[in-house]
Amino acid sequence: MTIDRARFDQGLTYEAYKDQMTRNRDRLEENERRVDLSKEDLAAFRALPRAVKVMVLAEDWCGDVIANLPVLGRLARDSGKLDVRIFLRDQNDDLMQRYLNKGQFKSIPVFVFLDDGFHELGHWIERPASVTEVRAKRRKDIFAAHPEFGSPDAPVDQLAEDVRVRLQAELAKMRDETAKFANAEVVRELREIATRVAA
Amino acid sequence: MTAIAHKVKITYCAECGYEPQTLDLAQALMLEFGARLSCIELIPWEGGTFDVSFDGDLLHSMKRDGGFPKPATIKDAVRARLSA
Repeated sequence: MTIDRARFDQGLTYEAYKDQMTRNRDRLEENERRVDLSKEDLAAFRALPRAVKVMVLAEDWCGDVIANLPVLGRLARDSGKLDVRIFLRDQNDDLMQRYLNKGQFKSIPVFVFLDDGFHELGHWIERPASVTEVRAKRRKDIFAAHPEFGSPDAPVDQLAEDVRVRLQAELAKMRDETAKFANAEVVRELREIATRVAA
Repeated sequence: MTAIAHKVKITYCAECGYEPQTLDLAQALMLEFGARLSCIELIPWEGGTFDVSFDGDLLHSMKRDGGFPKPATIKDAVRARLSA
């Protein structure tokens, strides 16, 4: 068992988590507003035979948390079928050690789906592989289209400051343009895990 | 005698919460070398980066070397280059 009821209940609700954030709350809430849930996806979550518990590991400085936790937050709010409790990664290392990415990295967010008996249905870490892949390709394309950015593998401190700022803007634009795809992929993967709950 | 400007750059992933390690290293370099370094530049970046360079030479790269460098290791490398 990953966690028992007493420990689970110590986690922060999504709203309580937002209230204790010291940075990036505006970005998280903007992403929350932008999540576009399809009727079909929502119906699948609403049709769950009972609420599924979701233990989350997060921190407010992490870009993947800012991008992906709001997707879970919206699914929970709009379906009423997910009981989300959030634990701060750096204060809950015992939980984090059980969900290391590739057995090594403390990647977040971590979403652990649990049934009524707190048995794990499945877990999800950081971001979908498909999103990493698409963004890596788009990143490559950006460097190909802008020779002034140099090699994608070169240390970025070798770029002049103005070039670096332009590169940063291009990367931010690319992330923005792929956000819709990324959110849909997160929903697809979370739906696959949540619907494992037995009828 | 011609004064030579020596610069250290620390590029860190601002989306990964690497500020504490960045500030620890910057402080260690400031206290150790004072005005012998003309500049310590902190560059907020992304993608899990933690790179340290001295006058364009990469002393440490998280992607290449793994993990964070020990401040003592970076100080030794900077000292060696300043004495060269």
